[in-house]
Amino acid sequence: MYQYDQLDQRIVEERVAQFSDQVKRRLSGELSEDEFKPLRLQNGLYLQLHAYMLRVAIPYGTLSSKQLRGLAQIACKYDRGWGHFTTRQNLQFNWIRLEQAPDALADLARVQMHAIQTSGNCIRNTTTDQFAGAAHDEIEDPRVWCEIIRQWSTFHPEFSFLPRKFKIAVTGSPNDRAAVRVHDIGLRMHRNDAGEVGFEVIVGGGLGRTPFIGKTIRDFLPKQDLLSYLEAILRVYNLFGRRDNMFKARIKILVHEIGIEAMREKVEAEFAAIRDSALRLPEETIAQIAAHFAPPPFEALPAGIAPEYAQAFRTDFDFGLWARRNTARHKQPGYAIVTISLKKEGEPPGDASAEQMQAIADIADRYSFGEIRVTHEQNLVLPHVKQADLPEVWRALKAYELATPNVGLASDIIACPGLDYCALANARSIPLAQQIARRFRNWERAHDIGELKIKISGCINACGHHHVGHIGILGVDKAGEEFYQLTLGGSADDSAALGDILGPALNQARTVDAIDTLVETYLQLRRGNERFLDTYRRVGLQPFKEAIYAAA
Amino acid sequence: MAKAPRLDNHPQVITANHLATGDVVYLTRVASWSRDIGEATVAPNVQAGAALLAVAQAQAKMNIVIDPYLIPVDTSVSPPRPIQFRERIRAQGPTTAGRTSDAAREDRHVSV
Repeated sequence: MYQYDQLDQRIVEERVAQFSDQVKRRLSGELSEDEFKPLRLQNGLYLQLHAYMLRVAIPYGTLSSKQLRGLAQIACKYDRGWGHFTTRQNLQFNWIRLEQAPDALADLARVQMHAIQTSGNCIRNTTTDQFAGAAHDEIEDPRVWCEIIRQWSTFHPEFSFLPRKFKIAVTGSPNDRAAVRVHDIGLRMHRNDAGEVGFEVIVGGGLGRTPFIGKTIRDFLPKQDLLSYLEAILRVYNLFGRRDNMFKARIKILVHEIGIEAMREKVEAEFAAIRDSALRLPEETIAQIAAHFAPPPFEALPAGIAPEYAQAFRTDFDFGLWARRNTARHKQPGYAIVTISLKKEGEPPGDASAEQMQAIADIADRYSFGEIRVTHEQNLVLPHVKQADLPEVWRALKAYELATPNVGLASDIIACPGLDYCALANARSIPLAQQIARRFRNWERAHDIGELKIKISGCINACGHHHVGHIGILGVDKAGEEFYQLTLGGSADDSAALGDILGPALNQARTVDAIDTLVETYLQLRRGNERFLDTYRRVGLQPFKEAIYAAA
Repeated sequence: MAKAPRLDNHPQVITANHLATGDVVYLTRVASWSRDIGEATVAPNVQAGAALLAVAQAQAKMNIVIDPYLIPVDTSVSPPRPIQFRERIRAQGPTTAGRTSDAAREDRHVSV
């Protein structure tokens, strides 16, 4: 894992000192709210519906056990004993007091963490594949590039006041688990015909009010040119992106308005001018950063399934259920990747108590080289678990209600905080997610249904990624009542697609029934091993639309 | 599109967030602030609420609260119940189930 050097630590500590002083001046009245608001936002502190919310950056979703313990302590000391993992691989504390926020940031700095780049019109925290460094299908560890982007983008003077926020995602695997096609810039590592590894650069993707799937601006970018090319894109965006209308200010609108060819022309011209500048990455620098992400000291184990794992799989039904959904293939023989579901029935998606965070940190230390990852689907990951240890890990997780066997299933729902917490929301997300999860509580049925990605946003800003849900749910306010508009057929992976609107929005009670009806319709129509998405792509919207609206 | 109901003639209370803590607060009868909407001073309508808003805005200038505004309430129940759904959630806390949400609802109804 990346460890701060003296410069990193100094930057973060200086920032805490600055913010402490700013808070003091705000509380004394020296700074007005108008003067203070942009300063607090630059430190991840929002004013939400009930309280201040602190959004903590978890760069590329990678946490050490020490950092997770630090977050647990902050949850207890300054919040109400829990935190909420988000679709940006970050963590939000929902009940922070302004007067204590600087102390919380100081505690974060002690574990090499901060809340920088979690708000404002800057380059936000870069996100990536939660299986980075562990996935069997990975070409290279994308975190090396995420860290290089972090160092380049943090406090980048030219890009601190962009027309709008800017999100970059990186995948090192052909199976995209980082939703790179719906980010301002998506980077997909691949090999060219000569066998060299570089990036496909995708630009202008995004969700929100005007969703777009990103377009490829360059098929293959050599690694050493990454920062020059990113800088070229950002520079073009900074110059030509709209500032007259907040809703049209994202790069996706610029790409859409001028077209990808014109965008490419401008970017390539800028790139040609700066390609050989100081931004060109020397091999030595890349190697230095890469060394931080060297594989942990894996044991040399035989390939194939470990006997302890196979035995438990055969004899313990509950373990088998969990292992089938919550483990993934590791690149190292004898190891597995474990996804810890934060979607237990009855709990808000993505929430973890301080006690659970402590327990996960302990389990990570014992079984996963002290590493934890956050997924954009609001779960956590133990990236490097020996297969032979899986039964023990499962039991340890179960003791803390962390062994829900539902990863990728109907109850593994992405939900934004919605109107229960968020000042921007029009409708609630979490209670709806909880009701839907309850509807699919029968594991036999849920496993029979198979992969089904339900994603809920409480407003058009789409933090819950509803556009790319197999079933997407958007909360709307109709004359003071919560309604939900459904979309079908969205996908965030390598076959990224935006969902199609099913029909008029439904009230909350009808929405839960409608999800059930959609699933039943799929079960009747599916052929062989088709997932919901496959069936939808084969048959289209009509049968689903009829099932929901024909009776009305 | 359905028309939003006209709410100006409803009784009104003033709400804001407390600067130092962020808590949802209501202007009380003694021109102080409480987390309990039951302690809020009630104006009969928006026009009458304007005078209260002036008091609240002065307190915002004194850096006690942030962004005070009027909300319509139903006074036929006690404590007064906000008409708007969003304000009911602000008054009562998150509506979500679960352990973490139970923790979120603790520690309310204390004057600040």
